[in-house]
Amino acid sequence: MVDFLQMVLSGIAVGSSYALMGLGMVLIYKASEVPNFVQGEMALLPIFIAFMLLSTYGVPYYIAFPATLIFALLLGCFLEFAILRRAKEPNVLGLIIITIGMEMMLLGFVSWKFGADQRAMPFPISAYDSIVIGDLFISTLDMLTLVVALVIMLILFLFFRFSKIGVAMKATQQNENAAALMGIKTKQIRMVTWGISSMVGSVAGLLIAPVLVEPYMMWDPMLKGFAGAVVGGMTSLPGAVFGAYIIGIVEHLFGGYVSIEFKSVVAFAIIVLVLCIKPSGLFARHYVKKV
Amino acid sequence: MKRNLLLVLAVMMVAVFGLCFNATAEEGVTDTEIHIGQWGPQTGPAAPWGAVARGTDAYFKMINADGGIHGRKIVHHYFDDGYNPAKTKAGVKQLQEEIGMFAWVSGVGTAPGLAVKDYLMDKKIPWIGPSAGSRHWIQPPNKYLFNTYPLYLGDAQLLVRYAVNTLGFKRIAIAYQNDDYGKQGLEGAQKQLAKSGLKLVSELPVNVADTDMKPHIMKFKKSKAEAILLFVGPGHVARLQGTAKAMQFAPQWMSTTTCGDHPLMMAITKGLYAGTISAAFGLMDPSAVGLGNKADFMKPTLPSMVKFKKDGYDKFAAKEERWGSTFCAGMGYVEPFVEALKRVGRDLTREKLVAEMEKIQNFHSSMGTVSFKPFDANDPLCRIGQQEVFLLRAEADGTSTILTDWFKTEFIPMDH
Amino acid sequence: MDMKRDYYEDVQVFTSKVIVFWLGVLILALAIFPFVAKNYYVYVANYMAINVIVVVGLNLLVGYTGQISMGHAGFFAIGAYGTITLMTQAHFPFLLALPCAGLVAALFGFLLGLPALRLEGPYLAIATLGFGITTTQIIGKIKIFGERQGLHAPDLTIGPWHIQTDKDFYFVLIPITILLVLLARNIVKTKVGRAFISIRDADIAAETMGVNLTFYKTLAFAVSAFYAGVGGGLYAFVLRFIEPELFNMFMSIMFLTMAVVGGLGSMMGPVGGACLLGLLDLQLRNILEIPYFGQWIKALSESYFTMTGVSNIQLIVFGLILILIMLFEPLGIFGIWIRTKKYWKMWPF
Repeated sequence: MVDFLQMVLSGIAVGSSYALMGLGMVLIYKASEVPNFVQGEMALLPIFIAFMLLSTYGVPYYIAFPATLIFALLLGCFLEFAILRRAKEPNVLGLIIITIGMEMMLLGFVSWKFGADQRAMPFPISAYDSIVIGDLFISTLDMLTLVVALVIMLILFLFFRFSKIGVAMKATQQNENAAALMGIKTKQIRMVTWGISSMVGSVAGLLIAPVLVEPYMMWDPMLKGFAGAVVGGMTSLPGAVFGAYIIGIVEHLFGGYVSIEFKSVVAFAIIVLVLCIKPSGLFARHYVKKV
Repeated sequence: MKRNLLLVLAVMMVAVFGLCFNATAEEGVTDTEIHIGQWGPQTGPAAPWGAVARGTDAYFKMINADGGIHGRKIVHHYFDDGYNPAKTKAGVKQLQEEIGMFAWVSGVGTAPGLAVKDYLMDKKIPWIGPSAGSRHWIQPPNKYLFNTYPLYLGDAQLLVRYAVNTLGFKRIAIAYQNDDYGKQGLEGAQKQLAKSGLKLVSELPVNVADTDMKPHIMKFKKSKAEAILLFVGPGHVARLQGTAKAMQFAPQWMSTTTCGDHPLMMAITKGLYAGTISAAFGLMDPSAVGLGNKADFMKPTLPSMVKFKKDGYDKFAAKEERWGSTFCAGMGYVEPFVEALKRVGRDLTREKLVAEMEKIQNFHSSMGTVSFKPFDANDPLCRIGQQEVFLLRAEADGTSTILTDWFKTEFIPMDH
Repeated sequence: MDMKRDYYEDVQVFTSKVIVFWLGVLILALAIFPFVAKNYYVYVANYMAINVIVVVGLNLLVGYTGQISMGHAGFFAIGAYGTITLMTQAHFPFLLALPCAGLVAALFGFLLGLPALRLEGPYLAIATLGFGITTTQIIGKIKIFGERQGLHAPDLTIGPWHIQTDKDFYFVLIPITILLVLLARNIVKTKVGRAFISIRDADIAAETMGVNLTFYKTLAFAVSAFYAGVGGGLYAFVLRFIEPELFNMFMSIMFLTMAVVGGLGSMMGPVGGACLLGLLDLQLRNILEIPYFGQWIKALSESYFTMTGVSNIQLIVFGLILILIMLFEPLGIFGIWIRTKKYWKMWPF
């Protein structure tokens, strides 16, 4: 029983970072209708910026992290404004290839600037401490990730509910033409969505980074976040979070009770199972196409 | 008419590619130059190992600065294959056929090496010191392929021996990378333990892309392992040790030559690596330092390493290059080759090089004592120059304590 | 000029004599190529031809049927392992083992097509991506496939002909490639092809018109997987050594990229995409040897970046090329071709 609880707890902990990545993907999917393969690298570059600020220039944390997040915001906006928006008559596959191209460029840029070596990221709290509850362990970093993830979800919820930009975003996602007619600058809204998504992803990245920093570190969380978002329905923010937690927990239970080797692919089996029952994910409404 | 014109054009187009042919006594050797080829990933997930190629490059530049070999400068061609065998093969063919390499040295990785092995061997081109401890290099042995890298199996043998005999542990577990490297470690550990009538209490694979190590640590903890062998890369060592620390599990960690770069390991684990025992097969001499004494990798004592740091690394390495064991290994793997080149003399051919390589006995390179034997198709050991490893313990200040002297490992053939 | 006057003109494989003529020229050029080019370029041509096979097959699925697959490296792996295993264990001759392995891949394609019946867009993308990753994981567990140690390709003989060099293999590979491309073109021109296209354009409308969705969607997956399987079987003999890690996710993504950059829903587009990106993939490592550009990049690296990571300029250039092609020509290389053709036809207007 203790084992089971520990697995669930660890699954929730790892699910939190998947959830943040998944949220980022869903935001962009809703705005631009493209599975965003650059999500991981949109967090990778800010992580290395933070790393540079902290270790090379000795900037204190309370300046470095906000600066990094602002950089992430600008990066997201820039990618949408400078590249994605320039696509003429885009189809989904073309957009996917563009995001893959951006992914390669950012990854190449980071590896070019920083080399391929693994590094340790300075961080205010240790990744190696843990909180003990009875026989259960949860590392303080995981705890922080969990709390931050919940706070960000809350902020996003409030943002979409009460802020003007948030409502405009929702309107744009629901019906772009109508939103434009109502005076919403839909292009700018889409750009800002990319910025926010990049920022959310970077938060996840910064919380993964204290363990190890290397150029290929964001692929796994990005794929798992994508998988979580798909389970949840790709268009639903709470769905993405829920899906990510399901994936985290099932991964750990599978790793614990069945096979560690296949732990990392079990997420995809969950997807196929879920989607066979609900083809548009758990939370998204399945629109029946009309001819 | 139009068709003919097109044909002529097409023929001309392709003929452009077929320009240079040089006819010398031996391919890749001129009066003033010896052309040597090498591959090593500079991009992709395996890029940290690409430092081997840059290390070799600095070493060759150092030799050239000292006057070259019998009046010839070494021209070193190394290229990035991104650890993709298709690209390795492309690069090797292009350099071999367009410029003509006299020989190939080092070359990172089992899969990239295996993709070009037949090509080089069929053409009777010597290939010295592949940078991976795979049994594929020597089983079956090839006349032109000289391995100077002790097999991964050997690390496992010595680590297990030390854990059981010296430390008195009974419960030993292993985390192995899910590839040739990890599987060899697993096999070596199993067979060595069987000699003491023991079994691994837990054997867990780590996929290269995995980042979450909590399930691994939970299982290790449940198995009550006293010592855990880490046949994984540096990144996974950092993740495993970090996760274990957070779950308040502190076994004796034992790692391989792959993670033998103690300053790097200490940095990326933020000090958790201290106390970890790791195998090594060079860059310092345990007999000279003495058992129980400390050696500092950053301040080498081995004469060849001292010289390489002063004349090679300081002068020719890129300014952001780290003085790391991967970089230095780039020198170590090719030292026997350079020695053989020197012994051959001015009249350099491939056959003579192979003959001199075979005569190398008890040659003290930076990577241990190297000996080869005349070619025997039935004896894999004739093409493995170095089979000795020793153990180090990582200390909190970044130095290493010598735990054992050189230990000769045992070759276990692949079963198929 | 492009007007079609009867049904036969619509279904014939070669729409005009001009095309037959140019195809003849192409075949002739391909036949001469290995005798005049250096062996290295023959190897490059082999690599490109394998990509062409896989991408043309992928295009049947993505471009004509409107399904997405990010897991073709899985079928590629099944083909490669299948061919070698059939040859070493069951002692099949190569020319029998290759299509058999292709059929095994097709069977898996059919199986993957079943869940794909209900999925589309990103849902299908991630499901197929998972298939690709899982396949290599499972292969790495199977004893007969050498687990993680990998497999060596056996000697290749066709009848009395012992195939050793790249040039020999070129003469095996290129006819197979041409055959498979023509077959794909033929499929597209038949009832099956029209069913595929109708599914892509409007699947529900197609169903009401009597197109059996279940059959044709799974068929598209199976045919596409067959192409990937055959490509994989040939790839095993280009490398002569395979291991599970080769067939990773990046390979799947690369195949899809080739198809899209080439231009979906055409036949020459994917061929062009596979050739261009295949060539870039192999040749970009020489990028620093380009005069001026290479020196400039190196100088830039020394001042602002790192010399140890300078090779990553390859990734940046590759990504940039992808982005530029997709931004300026959503139809890919095929679109560029069409525009150029039109320009010359209309010239001087």
